[in-house]
Amino acid sequence: MPERKTVDARGAFCPGPLMELIAAIKLVEVGDEVEILSSDKGSAKDIPDWVAKVKHEVVAVEERDDHWSIVVKRMK
Amino acid sequence: MSAPPLFVLLCSGEHEKIQMAGMVASVAAVSERPVQVFVSMNAMFAFLKSRQGDYRGGEFSAILKEKGAPDPVQLLQQGKMLGELKVFPCSMAMDVTGWKEEDLVEDLFEPPAGLTKFLADAESGQLVVI
Repeated sequence: MPERKTVDARGAFCPGPLMELIAAIKLVEVGDEVEILSSDKGSAKDIPDWVAKVKHEVVAVEERDDHWSIVVKRMK
Repeated sequence: MSAPPLFVLLCSGEHEKIQMAGMVASVAAVSERPVQVFVSMNAMFAFLKSRQGDYRGGEFSAILKEKGAPDPVQLLQQGKMLGELKVFPCSMAMDVTGWKEEDLVEDLFEPPAGLTKFLADAESGQLVVI
């Protein structure tokens, strides 16, 4: 089972959540997952775009009451 | 095919433009694109230790400050840490001001470089002037 780390970036504006996600991804093993919590609407779209660009994998995107949860799997 | 390197020539001292330069350079760097930023003219003041965080701009600057947008210098530092990003202070600007490398913010700059080197490097990629 992959391990999952959660990073709470709620309240941070673009590109803060993306940078926090990337910093966290560098610290987990390939195959593990990082969940980023973001209240920034732009990041909810930007983060999956970045994930596709650098060839990781979006496991889930969920819009909650006042934020998004985006789960990313480190692929390389 | 990998993206061509990005070269950002940052001259403006306006908060909004420095913010955009920090965003563009850091996001490009973490998106696996090599980036060089060459800082000169009024932009230099934003990178002085003695004026750290003291950004001067217009109407949008006030919004950025009020909302607590990411600090552009910190964005560049993150881009350097997480991607392939190099930031050079302009050697001419350093000469005319008399500033030393230790006067500039830490953990960001390469040694001062000249415009000739930057332009020669930029022939291999895309140049954005801010």
